[in-house]
Amino acid sequence: MPINSPNADRRNKLMLESPSHSDDDLLRLIAKGHEPAFVEFYRKHQGSVYRFALHMSGKTEIAEEVTQEVFLTVMGVANQYDSKRGSAVSYLYGITRNFVLRCLERERPYTAALEEVENDQAAALADEQDPLGELERNERIESLRKAVLALPPAYREVVVLCDLNEMDYAQAAVALGCAVGTIRSRLHRARALLMEKMRAAERCAV
Amino acid sequence: MNADERNLLEGLQEIASEGPRQAPLSMEQRLLAEFRKRSRVRRARIWMSAAGAGAMAAAIAVMVWIGPLRPEPRALQQDAVVQADETAADFYPLPDADGLPPVESAMVVRVQLPVSSLESIGFPVNQDRDSDPVEAEVLLGQDGLARGVRLVE
Repeated sequence: MPINSPNADRRNKLMLESPSHSDDDLLRLIAKGHEPAFVEFYRKHQGSVYRFALHMSGKTEIAEEVTQEVFLTVMGVANQYDSKRGSAVSYLYGITRNFVLRCLERERPYTAALEEVENDQAAALADEQDPLGELERNERIESLRKAVLALPPAYREVVVLCDLNEMDYAQAAVALGCAVGTIRSRLHRARALLMEKMRAAERCAV
Repeated sequence: MNADERNLLEGLQEIASEGPRQAPLSMEQRLLAEFRKRSRVRRARIWMSAAGAGAMAAAIAVMVWIGPLRPEPRALQQDAVVQADETAADFYPLPDADGLPPVESAMVVRVQLPVSSLESIGFPVNQDRDSDPVEAEVLLGQDGLARGVRLVE
C-alpha cells in the first residue's frame, strides 16, 4: 500500500495520537517521512544527545555539531533501524558516540592550545568576581571538569551518562548497549580515577 | 561513602547543573527544513517510480492487445539480397524497364515514396493524399537499374 494513502495516514495519525507511542514507532514513522514524528523524536531526545556531546567534549560548538549530525543521520537512516538488534535509545547513542569520538579525534591537535586560553579566561573571571572561596570552588570544579575530559572514552561516557546526565545504570546500559554490571564496574573505576586526579591536583596546588 | 567520594559527587552535580541543557532552538528549525526537503525529494522519487511502473504496465498491455510487433521497417535505401526464388514477376514493372537486360541477380531496396510518384507508374491514387509517404520496395537489377516496384503492406 502506498505510504501516503488515506489509510496509511489515518494509521500514522492514530499511532501518534496514542498516549504511549514508542521510539520504535516514531522511527518507523520518520522513515516514512512523517514530520510530526520527527519533531516528537527530536524534542524527546535532543537534550540528552546535546548534553552527552557537551560533557564528552567540553565544547558547546562540538555539542551543537554532533546534535545536528545525529538527527540528520536519524532522518537519513531511520529506515535501517531494526528493533531486534537493539533499542532506539541504544541506536541513538551509538550514532552520537561515533560522532563525538570523530570530533574529539579531529580536535585533538588543538586541545592543548585551547586549554591554555580557557585557563587564562577562567582565572581572569575568578579574579574579577573575587572572593577566595569562589576562586577555590571554581578551581576545584575546573580541575574536575578537566579530569572528566581526560578520562578514557569508555569511562568518560559512563560518568557523563550516570553522573552528569542523571541516567540510572539500567538506562545507561541500554544506551551503551552493554550489561548493567559493566556500567557499574566502569563507573566505579572512573570515579576512582577522578578522585585520584583530584587528590593529585590538590597536592600540586598546596 | 567517604569524604572524597562525597566531594566528587557534589562536584559532578555542580558540573551537571551548569551550561546549556538543550540544543539551540534554531537547530530544530534547521533540521525541520532539511526534513521537509528530503521528504519532498522522497515523494518525488516515489511518484516517478510509480509513474515509470505504470507506463511500463501500459506498454505491456498495449503490446498484448495489439499482438506481436511487426518488424521495424528497414531504413531508407537499405539493401537486401533477393532470394533466388524471388522473381521480377512479383514486382509491378516500371515503364522504362522494358528495354533493359533481363534480371539475373537482383537487390531489393525499401524506400518511402510520395503517393503522387505512384501515379506515374499507373497506380490508382487518391488525389487528397498525394503528398503522404508510402512504403515500397524497388527491384534493382545486376546493373543497378530499377526494374519494378511493389507496395509494402
